[in-house]
Amino acid sequence: MTSETMPAAATSSGRRASPSALLRARAVLSAEWIKLRSLRSMLVTPALAAVFCIGWGSLVCLRYVNTWPTRVAAGKAGFQPLDVNFNVLVIGVLFFGVLGALVVTNEYGNGLIRATLAATPQRGLILAAKTALLTLIALLSSAVLCFALFLAGQGILAGHLPHVTLADPGVLGRVLGAIFYLTTASLIGLFTGVIARSAAVAMSCVFGVFLVLPTLLNSLHGGVWRHTVPYLPSNLGNALWLSHAGSLVRPTVAALGLAAYIIVLGVLATYSLRRRDA
Amino acid sequence: MSAHAGTAPRTSISLETRLRATARSEWIKFRSVRSGPAVLLATAVILPVTAWLLCAYYRNGWATMSPASQASFDPVFISLRGIEGAQLLVGAFGVITATGEYTSGLIRGTFIATPQRAQVIAMKAAIFAVVVWAWCTLLSFAAFFIGQALLSNPAKHVAIGDPGALTAVFGGGLYLTLIGLLGLFIGVLLRRTPGALAALFGILLVLPVAIGLLGGKNSAQLAEFLPDSGGEEIFKLLHGGAYTLGPWQGFAVLAAYVAAAAAPAFLLVRRRDA
Amino acid sequence: MIEARELRKVYGHTVAVDGIDFQVKPGHVTGFLGPNGAGKSTAMRMILGLDLPTSGTVTVDGRRYQGTVWPLHEVGALLDARAVHPGRSAYNHLHALAAANGIARKRVDEVLDQVGLTSVARKRVGGFSLGMSQRLGIAGALLGDPGTLLFDEPVNGLDPDGILWIRTLMRSLADEGRTVLVSSHLMSEMALTADHLLVIGKGRLLADTPLSELIAQNSDERVEVRAADPQQLAADLRVVGAQVTMEPDGTLGVLGFESKQIGELAAERGHVLHQLRDVTVSLEEAYFRLTGESVEYRAPNPAPVAA
Repeated sequence: MTSETMPAAATSSGRRASPSALLRARAVLSAEWIKLRSLRSMLVTPALAAVFCIGWGSLVCLRYVNTWPTRVAAGKAGFQPLDVNFNVLVIGVLFFGVLGALVVTNEYGNGLIRATLAATPQRGLILAAKTALLTLIALLSSAVLCFALFLAGQGILAGHLPHVTLADPGVLGRVLGAIFYLTTASLIGLFTGVIARSAAVAMSCVFGVFLVLPTLLNSLHGGVWRHTVPYLPSNLGNALWLSHAGSLVRPTVAALGLAAYIIVLGVLATYSLRRRDA
Repeated sequence: MSAHAGTAPRTSISLETRLRATARSEWIKFRSVRSGPAVLLATAVILPVTAWLLCAYYRNGWATMSPASQASFDPVFISLRGIEGAQLLVGAFGVITATGEYTSGLIRGTFIATPQRAQVIAMKAAIFAVVVWAWCTLLSFAAFFIGQALLSNPAKHVAIGDPGALTAVFGGGLYLTLIGLLGLFIGVLLRRTPGALAALFGILLVLPVAIGLLGGKNSAQLAEFLPDSGGEEIFKLLHGGAYTLGPWQGFAVLAAYVAAAAAPAFLLVRRRDA
Repeated sequence: MIEARELRKVYGHTVAVDGIDFQVKPGHVTGFLGPNGAGKSTAMRMILGLDLPTSGTVTVDGRRYQGTVWPLHEVGALLDARAVHPGRSAYNHLHALAAANGIARKRVDEVLDQVGLTSVARKRVGGFSLGMSQRLGIAGALLGDPGTLLFDEPVNGLDPDGILWIRTLMRSLADEGRTVLVSSHLMSEMALTADHLLVIGKGRLLADTPLSELIAQNSDERVEVRAADPQQLAADLRVVGAQVTMEPDGTLGVLGFESKQIGELAAERGHVLHQLRDVTVSLEEAYFRLTGESVEYRAPNPAPVAA
C-alpha cells in the first residue's frame, strides 16, 4: 500500500481529522473523472455523434446543392441555409441524451454504484460531481460538433447556394444555442438515468421524449396542444437554432424552459438517489 | 437413486416433448420477472390513451380541416397511432428478454440445461411472440373501438366490418409483435443492452428521419423499405401516395428485417462461447 | 465418469488449456487444484459444452455434452452462484431450470429443502446474501439427481456450518457412486474432502494422483526439535551427518534422521529436549512446491511460507 492510503497520524484523541469540504469535493471529482474517462461509451458516443452529424449533415447539404436546379421558386425563396445544415441535430441530440443516461446506468448495471455510494455517503455530492463532469464533456464535444458541422455544411453550400457565415447577424447565437441544446439533452439523459436506474428504461425515455413524442404531437395545433406542444424539450431545443418561429417559442423562452427541465429533473434525481437503496 | 454407473442416453424423448419442456421453461422465465407485466401494462395505457387524445382532437377540428386533408384522413391509422409510442416499449422489451440472460450470466445455466441452443432461442422467441401478439391485438381492437367512437359524425370513421379495417386492426398487433421480435434477435446478436437498444432504435426510429432529411422523391421511395415506415402500412386503412406499399407488402418488408436479424442470431448462438 | 483426451483451448494468443488428459472416476471426490488462470474454469466450461474445445475431446459417460438431451438428469453443475436474474424468485429460478428438462415441480421443493432455502423460496434472488446464492446454485446442481456433479468454488461465502454441510454432502454423493469434481482454492477444505487430485498449472496437468500420494511425494520428512541448548545439539547432529537449520527462536529443523534416532542421540549426549516433532508437509506446502513456477498472478510475498 502506498503512503497516501495509510491513515494520517492520529491526533491525541485517537481520531483522524475530517477532510475539509473542498478536499472531499476534489476527491469525489477525481474519482468520478477516473471512472468517466475509462468508460468506453464516454469516448465512443460523442465520437459517433460527430461522425454521424458532420457526415450526414454534409450529405444533406450536398443533396440540396445537387437538386437545386429542380426546386420550385417558392422552395428556393424560403431556403434557410442554417436550418438545412443543422437539421441533422434532431438525431444528434439522441446521442447526447444516451451519453448522459449511460454514465449512470452503467454503474447500476455492473453494481459499481454500491462501492461508489459506500465511498461517498454524501450522495448529493456524487450527483453534483457527475453533473459537472458530464456538462464539461457534453459542452466540449457539442461545441466541436456544431462548429465543425457549421463549417462543413456552409462550406459545401458556399458558391452554389445562399449560405451564412459566423459573422452574419444572429448566426453565432444560433450555433451557441444548438450547443446549449445538446448539453442540456445530455443532462436530461443523466437525470433520467439516475431516476430510472436501468439502461433500457432510460434509453427508451430518451428516444421517446426527443423523437417519438414530437412525431406524434407536432401535428396537433389546436386547443390545449397549442400551449403545450411547443414546450416539449425537443421543440424548445430546436427553437434555439431554427430560423422561423412558426409555432416555436422565442429563443430566450426556450433556453429558460430547458433550464427549468434540468432543474426539476435534477431535484427529482437528487431525491431519488438519496432516498432509495443502492 | 441408487447406482450411477452411467445412464442410457435419452434419445427416446420425442422432439415434441423436448420442445414443450423448453417452451415451459421460457414461459416461467418470461412471467417471473417484473419487466414483462410492466411493459404490457404500459402498452395498455398508451394505445387507448393515444387513440382517445388524437381522435378527440380530429373530431373537434374536423370542420377546420381542408377537403384534401379530410379526404386523406385515415381513421384507423389515427386511432392506432399509439403504436408508434408502444413500439419503443415492446421493442425494448424484446431486447431485454434476450440481453437479460446475457448480462446476468443466466444464459450459461440455460445452455447447460439445454445444449441445443437454437431450440432455446426459438422457444424464447415463440413464447414472447405469442404473449405479445395476443395482448397487442387485444389492445389494437380496444384502441380502434375507442377511436371510432370518438370520431363521431361529421368526422370520417369506419366500422370494423368495413373493407380493410379488420386487416388493419389485426395488423396493429402483428406489427408490434414483429418489432418485439426484431428487438429480441438483435439482443441475441449483440448481447449487451445499451448496444442492442441503440441498434434497434437506430434502425427503427433514426433511419427514417435521417432519410427524410435528404428530401426528394428518392428518399420517400427508400423510406418505404424501412421497417418502421414499411411495416406501418399493415395497420393503415388508406394507402395513398405514389410510393407507398400495400399492407402485406409493407408487412413483408418488416418480416424481412426480422428474418435478417434472426438468421445470424441462430447461426452465431451455436458457434460462440456462452 | 468424465474423460478428457488432449483437451485444448486457445483464446486468441492465450493457451488456456494445453492438451490435457484426465479421467474423473465415480465414487471419489476429485479435486481440481491450480493457481488463478490455470485453466480450471475453462476445463469445466468445456465439460459442460459452454465453450467448444479448440482441439481434443471431453466426454461425460462416453458422450459429448452438446448432443445430450435433458442433461441435468446426468450432470449437475455449480459454476457461478451469481448467474441469476436478480428480479426472479429462487423458486421460479429453479422451476424454470427444472421445466427445461422435464423435472417435476415437487423436486424443486425437495432441493430447496435440502439446501435450507425453503423459507426464502419466494423472495427475489437479488436480495440474497452470497451464502444463500451459493446454496441456490447447489440446489440447481442437485435438481436432476445426476450421476455426475461439478462444483466450482462451492464453499465460497458459506459459514462454518455450511462448509461442513457441503463437505458432508460431497462425500455422501461420492459414496453413493456418483462422480464428483470440485474446483477450489481452499487448501484446508480440499485436504478434508478430496480423495484424488488433478493439479493444473498454466493449462497443463501437473499431477493426477491420490491426495495422500501427493503429500508424500512432496514431503521432506523434516524433524523439528526444541532443546535447552540448541547450538550444542545442532553441532552434535552435524557431526553425525544431519542437515540442521536453526530458526531465530532456537528451533532446529533436522533433515536425514528419524525422530527416534534424534531422540536417542540427544539422550546419549545429555541434552534436555523440549519438543521433538515429525513435520509432514501440508497440502498447501505440497501444492506450492508443485506449482511454484506456474503461478500466473502472484502478489509479492510478505513472509516465507510457514511449514
